[in-house]
Amino acid sequence: MDSKEVYEIDRTADFIHCKNFTKVALQFPDELLKDSVRVVSALRDKLQLLRESVTEQNGDSKQVRLFVMADTTYGSCCVDEVGASHANADCVIHYGHTCLSPTSTLPAFFVFGKASISISNCAKSLSDYASTNSKPIVVVYGLEYVHAIPHVREELVALSSMQSGPKHQDIHFADVVCSVINPSDDQKNPVGLPRPVGDYSASVEVEAAAGSSYRIGGLIWELPNGHRMEDYLLVWVGSSNSAFANVVLTFNGCEIVRYDALENRLVTDLSQQRRILKRRYYLVEKAKDANIVGILVGTLGVAGYLDMIHQMKELITSAGKKAYTLVMGRPNPAKLANFPECDVFIYVSCAQTALLDSKEFLAPVITPFEAMVAFGRGKQWSGEYVMEFRDLINSSPVEAKDKSEEARFSFMQGRYVEDFDLQESIEEDDGALALVNATEKALQLHDTNSASLVKRTIKSGAEYFANRSYQGLDMHNDNSLPEPYLIGRTGKASGYEHEKSKTDNL
Amino acid sequence: MVKFTAEELRRIMDFKHNIRNMSVIAHVDHGKSTLTDSLVAAAGIIAQEVAGDVRMTDTRQDEAERGITIKSTGISLYYEMSDDALKSYKGERNGNEYLINLIDSPGHVDFSSEVTAALRITDGALVVVDCVEGVCVQTETVLRQALGERIRPVLTVNKMDRCFLELQVDGEEAYQTFQRVIENANVIMATYEDPLLGDCQVYPEKGTVAFSAGLHGWAFTLTNFAKMYASKFGVDEAKMMERLWGENFFDPATKKWTTKNTGSPTCKRGFVQFCYEPIKQIINTCMNDQKDKLWPMLQKLGVTMKSEEKDLMGKALMKRVMQTWLPASNALLEMMIFHLPSPATAQKYRVENLYEGPLDDPYATAIRNCDPEGPLMLYVSKMIPASDKGRFFAFGRVFSGKVSTGLKVRIMGPNYVPGEKKDLYVKSVQRTVIWMGKKQETVEDVPCGNTVAMVGLDQFITKNATLTNEKEVDAHPIRAMKFSVSPVVRVAVQCKVASDLPKLVEGLKRLAKSDPMVVCTIEESGEHIIAGAGELHLEICLKDLQDDFMGGAEIIKSDPVVSFRETVLEKSCRIVMSKSPNKHNRLYMEARPMEDGLAEAIDEGRIGPRDDPKARAKILSEEFGWDKDLAKKIWCFGPETTGPNMVVDMCKGVQYLNEIKDSVVAGFQWASKEGALAEENMRGICFEVCDVVLHADAIHRGGGQIIPTARRVIYASQLTAKPRLLEPVYLVEIQAPEQALGGIYSVLNQKRGHVFEELQRPGTPLYNIKAYLPVVESFGFSGTLRAATSGQAFPQCVFDHWDMMSSDPLEAGSQAAQLVSDIRKRKGLKEQMTPLSEYEDKL
Repeated sequence: MDSKEVYEIDRTADFIHCKNFTKVALQFPDELLKDSVRVVSALRDKLQLLRESVTEQNGDSKQVRLFVMADTTYGSCCVDEVGASHANADCVIHYGHTCLSPTSTLPAFFVFGKASISISNCAKSLSDYASTNSKPIVVVYGLEYVHAIPHVREELVALSSMQSGPKHQDIHFADVVCSVINPSDDQKNPVGLPRPVGDYSASVEVEAAAGSSYRIGGLIWELPNGHRMEDYLLVWVGSSNSAFANVVLTFNGCEIVRYDALENRLVTDLSQQRRILKRRYYLVEKAKDANIVGILVGTLGVAGYLDMIHQMKELITSAGKKAYTLVMGRPNPAKLANFPECDVFIYVSCAQTALLDSKEFLAPVITPFEAMVAFGRGKQWSGEYVMEFRDLINSSPVEAKDKSEEARFSFMQGRYVEDFDLQESIEEDDGALALVNATEKALQLHDTNSASLVKRTIKSGAEYFANRSYQGLDMHNDNSLPEPYLIGRTGKASGYEHEKSKTDNL
Repeated sequence: MVKFTAEELRRIMDFKHNIRNMSVIAHVDHGKSTLTDSLVAAAGIIAQEVAGDVRMTDTRQDEAERGITIKSTGISLYYEMSDDALKSYKGERNGNEYLINLIDSPGHVDFSSEVTAALRITDGALVVVDCVEGVCVQTETVLRQALGERIRPVLTVNKMDRCFLELQVDGEEAYQTFQRVIENANVIMATYEDPLLGDCQVYPEKGTVAFSAGLHGWAFTLTNFAKMYASKFGVDEAKMMERLWGENFFDPATKKWTTKNTGSPTCKRGFVQFCYEPIKQIINTCMNDQKDKLWPMLQKLGVTMKSEEKDLMGKALMKRVMQTWLPASNALLEMMIFHLPSPATAQKYRVENLYEGPLDDPYATAIRNCDPEGPLMLYVSKMIPASDKGRFFAFGRVFSGKVSTGLKVRIMGPNYVPGEKKDLYVKSVQRTVIWMGKKQETVEDVPCGNTVAMVGLDQFITKNATLTNEKEVDAHPIRAMKFSVSPVVRVAVQCKVASDLPKLVEGLKRLAKSDPMVVCTIEESGEHIIAGAGELHLEICLKDLQDDFMGGAEIIKSDPVVSFRETVLEKSCRIVMSKSPNKHNRLYMEARPMEDGLAEAIDEGRIGPRDDPKARAKILSEEFGWDKDLAKKIWCFGPETTGPNMVVDMCKGVQYLNEIKDSVVAGFQWASKEGALAEENMRGICFEVCDVVLHADAIHRGGGQIIPTARRVIYASQLTAKPRLLEPVYLVEIQAPEQALGGIYSVLNQKRGHVFEELQRPGTPLYNIKAYLPVVESFGFSGTLRAATSGQAFPQCVFDHWDMMSSDPLEAGSQAAQLVSDIRKRKGLKEQMTPLSEYEDKL
């Protein structure tokens, strides 16, 4: 396929031209960065052409400046608004895989790219699958296949007219919400959320007039009234990526198969994907035992992230736990291990980068939804799953105040445990004595026996540091004589100079 | 029908000298529940006629169906003793009324946690031993437990009817058998003797041994017969008792007592002559329906039968006659009242075992004196499911003070540490209840020395707890119970319908509460795990879970899963090194196996993180040959800071070392919990930090750099030290007749078991076999064994130790490698182990 077509140069140029943007940031994911130069030059040429045609008409038009942005701080699927504002850009063109998360300040234009797919093969697989199942089918797909979907649909119609066998009206296709996001449209919306179709509220499921509409990862589809997602089969066209994982988790009640466009076949064995849900469940149980929670800021662009962080903080505090907010770019094990006092991290980010699960992490990393299940007292996981934190914002944390007095059962320890501070916070409301109480605590006698290898349960970061065996330099050294100076190491960390000889000897 | 009311019971509860708290303990199938029946019958709760068949204390349906006791059941009984019976009682008493709080416990080893819970709240134990099978494995186990808790035992030789009816052995042979049973029991008791409890061996001539036939509801102690004959011979009872046991012979021809068998045909042992023979005679006459002979004999014994009973025939007649002549309740009750301690007596010496705090504080004093006016000290030993689903009674014993309806109590859980707020609640008791047979009676309050069930605390007590008054903030909790079995067999459960998950979670919570031993946890993969002591135990737990706690929602259970341990065989072949992510820090480490017995010492808590470093160094250097200085350089234990693995600092003069200690410890806790082979816990590995090279700037040697590196270097050193898997091994005890031995051996061989002891039980055709059997192979073992021995062999399995599997898990195709890949698959990990090169770095 021609790169000009893949990158939709004409459409992009039209968009920029129509809206009169003068500084445009082009955001490329790492794997497409190599094409950036070609895209920029093609785009510039095209814009030049358009401009000339305009200049002919009314004579004044500004030069459009294009910037290439790469190596985003967070997931490359989100629009990097902070990066774009460094260049003072007034619009972002996003290339490649995206989560279509709404932006908070800048308008964005998405170029999904066009992955190759065998249309006839795909249609055939779909119709075969439909004929073997009695349930109706909903087809959802990776955004890189958007271009092929109308063709698949046509092909299916052709197939069904040929065979007259399976009723293809039972195959529904999801639609793409839009490829342009414009935050200014939704100024009236208090949380800055775009409201695409229907009345959008707390859950994925929306009761619209025509029926319920479902929305995930930029796709939207409607089901006739009275139908539930559980009555449908889901077919995912695309690769097994994070977008697919989201679909599997969100619609965990549905039967899901995947059409692999690279191998041209239907993949029905999704046990590995199913495991994810159980694994998430485990992480939630683990999070319930946490005392110190780190909130990782995983996006600075997705609309409503600040509200989410505030909501999480409130939730955590009301659950009697301590919260710390951490901004560290993309988390990795080494970064997270710098905060060994945190028992669990909540990763506030767009839906598709939200699932961070690796054995390498010292503490589990969970999503805001999981945090709500874990820290909302008396809340139980009923099987539903919400990936996008925007869908959670309005769901009231009031439930966390549910006064079920029963002690919490911890499956990590196999017994009942009591959450800290729940009782204490009630007692300490007395403002006049607050200071006295605080000093009393500060003067508590701590375990002075530093040789003791036991660690008490720790409730805050300060306490963690107080408990460490290393407390910083020992200033009480009796020896006041100056130390003789020593010659340090020289050379590189991969082998200092004095070590070279040692390795040679070996 | 019930002869007593709750008010009567409540009244005696105040007489602390007239209370006996006792549990009935024995090997499985030795007749505990049956014998308990006769006692309950005597209290009038069930009819005398059906005693022995009802099994009053087996309240659950599955208990009745299987014919085994699963849960220990408490019952409060009231008796009024006659003045006559009590005239030789020397101890303190308050009137003739007695309250017996009796707990029937299960005999199967899988449920021995129930026995532990029962023993904690009682002061005395009735040890039941089958006269034919003798002292068995479980008899020994429960006796050991009892003595560990300072419970005074009395013995009853049960199933006497078998001697007379089945085996038809003659008197002398029977005497020898009984004598051996008693001797065996005494040997055990002598082994676990406790100076404060004093001599707790049992002697028939002192009245601490009874002979009973639970099924037929009769029993006697030598006191019964001694009383009968004392007047006849004109000697006092005590003298007569001595003559009725041991080397005392009587020759009716000469009417002389000797201490040796004179050899004359009429010369018989006192016991045979005066106890065994008369019973045998009566039984035989009854069984042969020689009623004409029977009535005069009975008259001589002073036994009067009701007229309608005179029409009974055969066994029924025999049962009735024996019950009337030698009622089991009389003999046993007398034995209990005379020889088992009252709470007031028992708590004097038990306080040391019970109370965790200083023994001179007001709480210890109150327990010691069994002071009803003192502060409340109450131990909840188990939770009993109530009839309304999902709620539980907290069942326990009041050691001091009084617990009453509406009282606000401080609940100190097993993890409570005095002075902290962890695991501590203040709640009020909604109702206090006592058990009277199958029904519960609400009472206003329960004073110390009694068992009690409480309503309204179940949401705050998992399995056990110490309760005290609201204001008693200084009270220490009562020591936690120590179980003799551990939950080694595990199954993963999930619900058939995904939306039943909340039900399953709720069900598991309740299950965890209802059983002292079961542990409900969650795996890394998100599966719910139920761990129990054995196959039978799990089976019962799963049944309870599904039927009672989940309202019948269907569950799917996996095959039993056994957890393994990872260890090393040798010292690492080289010092391994790993670099931090920024390549600026290097850790050098070595792994080596711990000395023999050290891991066990850590398990037992003899060596642990809380020790004084000097004391620890002493044990390590004296018992395990450690260098004294080295012993002081232990950085930590793990996993969970207490496990049987260590990190030891072997570095010399390394800069900033103390700065990274916390990070290395964190990495070690993590790594030792999930070993490199199959992410099983590590066991018995000592990691030595050999050298450390760190970046000069603190920011570049922070936790983020060191923790993952420590984990990697630990894995690398494990993999270079010939890693091995440890599998759990059961100690199996089987009792079977000789002809079944062949079958037993073949089954054991087939299951990788090996026999290390085979003993014939003297005087019986029975053999006792002790063998080691891997837990993995034990599933279906008892079924196979029963099939191979046509039901003659019955195994008892208890977790014994961890055994190293000799095959190398790193060698492709070996048994251990197969096992590792199975475990990894189950856990949803990559099937291939991560290679050493991922963990070890080169300079």
